[in-house]
Amino acid sequence: MLLLAFALAVVILFVVLRLLGNPVFALISVGATEQEIAAAAARLGVDRPIPVQFLDYVVQLARLDLGTSFTNNLPVGDEILRRLNVTLPLTLLAFLLSVVIAVPVGFIAAWRSRTWYGTAFSAVSQLGGAIPVFWVGILLVTALALNARLFPAGGFPRSDWEDPGAAIFALTLPVLTIAIVSGSDLARYVRSATLDVLGQQYLRAARATGQSFAGAFVRHGIRNGIVPVISILAIQLSTTFVGAVIVERVFALPGLGDMLLVGIQEQDFPSVQGVLLFSTTLVLLLGFVADVIQRLIDPRLRASVSGNRMARAAA
Amino acid sequence: MISRHRRSRLAATLAATTASLLVLAGCASGSGSSDAGPDANAEIIVGSQNEPTNLDQIFGGSSGVTEVFTGNVYEGLFRITDDAEVEPLLAKETEVSDDGLTYTFTLEDATFHSGDPLTAEAVKYSLERFIGDDSIAARKSQLSVIDTVTAVDDTTVEVQLSAKSISFTYNLGYVWIVNPEAGDLTAAADGTGPYALGDYRKGDSITLDVNEDYWGDAPANGGVVYQYYADPTALNNALITGAVDLVTSQSNPDSLSEFESGDYEIIEGTSTTKELLAFNDRVAPFDDVNVRKAVYSAIDREQLLDAIWDGRGQLIGSMVPPSEPWYLDLADNNPYDPELAADLLAEAGYADGFEFTIDTPESGVHSTVAEFLQTELAKIGVTVDINIITDDQWYEKVYTDHDFEATLQGHVNDRDINFYGDSDFYWGYDDADVQTWLADAEQADSVEQQTELITRVNQKISDDAASVWLYLNPQLRIARDGITGVPENGLNSLFYVYGIQEA
Repeated sequence: MLLLAFALAVVILFVVLRLLGNPVFALISVGATEQEIAAAAARLGVDRPIPVQFLDYVVQLARLDLGTSFTNNLPVGDEILRRLNVTLPLTLLAFLLSVVIAVPVGFIAAWRSRTWYGTAFSAVSQLGGAIPVFWVGILLVTALALNARLFPAGGFPRSDWEDPGAAIFALTLPVLTIAIVSGSDLARYVRSATLDVLGQQYLRAARATGQSFAGAFVRHGIRNGIVPVISILAIQLSTTFVGAVIVERVFALPGLGDMLLVGIQEQDFPSVQGVLLFSTTLVLLLGFVADVIQRLIDPRLRASVSGNRMARAAA
Repeated sequence: MISRHRRSRLAATLAATTASLLVLAGCASGSGSSDAGPDANAEIIVGSQNEPTNLDQIFGGSSGVTEVFTGNVYEGLFRITDDAEVEPLLAKETEVSDDGLTYTFTLEDATFHSGDPLTAEAVKYSLERFIGDDSIAARKSQLSVIDTVTAVDDTTVEVQLSAKSISFTYNLGYVWIVNPEAGDLTAAADGTGPYALGDYRKGDSITLDVNEDYWGDAPANGGVVYQYYADPTALNNALITGAVDLVTSQSNPDSLSEFESGDYEIIEGTSTTKELLAFNDRVAPFDDVNVRKAVYSAIDREQLLDAIWDGRGQLIGSMVPPSEPWYLDLADNNPYDPELAADLLAEAGYADGFEFTIDTPESGVHSTVAEFLQTELAKIGVTVDINIITDDQWYEKVYTDHDFEATLQGHVNDRDINFYGDSDFYWGYDDADVQTWLADAEQADSVEQQTELITRVNQKISDDAASVWLYLNPQLRIARDGITGVPENGLNSLFYVYGIQEA
């Protein structure tokens, strides 16, 4: 399944990109002659028939080589690794923070759903999930960077992680931006999963055996409630990664998202293919890992093949 | 209450005075420089939206590559100054033969950043590379007049031209002399300039380090970083928060008001970027001079300039900005006069108007301009359809395939009136006189003769309304207070950073 999806991604990407246009026209400037345009196409290799280009690309991929950029001849793989210095910490920190926000908020919103603060928590999480991520970014920049001057408005240290303090400092607002939005999303899932579990007979049965609420919830509730949440977590981690694209632009961060957008603008096919294949692989792997973890936790899923699908449907 | 308030103010003043004295003392003992003088070691951070696609001018590095490298990292045989004058740079001496076909250059005693000496062979390599088969450099066709380049000895280069070329030395001002040993320059650099390439982080920044062994005068600063922003708001924020010292080109006049306080200086120079409504002069109805002139006179360009640039910039009536020798004030040659426009249309047989499409690149201000033109032309019964396309589609559909009726484009190059002498150029203006004058001008014996001929071209294309020259963009740079020596004009994106200093 995983391999098939990957192969499909390779083919679709390659073909769709070639339909978009001729990358030569992104390189030339006013004054270029027809011969020059033809020479540039030959240099990039895009004057060859598409099947030939594709074969070339597949052979290259088989050697785990993502090729070199059309615009500056740098290896795409190296460029992706350099960009991950920004995008990976951004995604992971934002994801961790969103879990830290979402679990207590979602749990309290469910557990105390009839109190004023339970309602307030679910209202806030609804609101947070409804605001577009770039808007949150702009608000945070205006309030905390332009007015209060507490954080930089954007950018990433040119020395990368040589000075970890400065790097973390630069990532604070972007991380907060993503965490607010995806944390709100996640909180709603945690809330509904918790509500689901709280209403179950087995929890009442556990309480009837004399266990405390906390004991019963930890022993039986979490294990049941967490199964659908895990697949949501995997999806959420993927969307956080993708959401970083927009946030990187708002905060002028030189990450993978910036590489993708600039690559599309410059019709730099190898870079665009590289970033998208990398993201696709990551999303597929995350889904796979989530499946494995779910099976480890829930014996019912191990028994039936379709169980995984049922768990997803339940979520 | 009052006295307590006073006391606390007195204390604050005392504290502030002490602090500033300490700071002054620190300055005096620390660097040894005078307290208000410029700091030659300060690193200048330049904010820009114009990131080069790669670092080599011959592989489509775009105008962003000129902004960073020309004159800073790489030098030509000649330099074009901020006032559009040509002066010698790496060519210490130039001798021209009587027939104007042989140029002999004696080179300065310079070294490349890698330590290799500048040789005649390097110049030969660089010139041949620029006009070679692989090159898609912007001035390649003009420099293709070079027939042979010979390294006579280590410091003497002889260039043989196939035809006389009065703008040869001017055009050489854009050609980098590179080290042949350096190889691929799309992500590396090796020149003779006052700065060496320090670090290249695509999508983020380009760092230039001072070249300690520079053959000329040392720069006024301790290095320059170009920091790139894809989003104009992010660039503005960077200037406001002090993350950058200056902005090379402010493209959005709406946000200028934020910088009109004393904390910043807005530097307005002239650019060479002309906003054009270019007709396809080959196709009806734009093959008719009267139709073109009618469209021109139907547009209130003053109002347009006001709307787009808030009164900055300049109205022009031809392809020539005031910075070029053959400039004429033609701004009113095709005056704004809707009645005249209607008469001209009737004369051309389009009394009831007509309909056409403007292929409009999505970048920059073009779509706003298109909407304005739509409103203006509707008043004389002409219907405009706006077709938004990407910049790449523009190069394919309009520039290469000539498949368009009219289009909008900002033409950034200096001295680009010569495009009107090429009937195969995308706008297809075809006038035998203009072609002869331009060809003769290039073969002229003197600058006066060249100027006289191109001035004629200038008048003629304006009389013919070959295109509608809407306005000349202003060159707006913003520097924070204390930054001086910023080049004013935006001649084809040239931006020499060696004079910039921090007080």
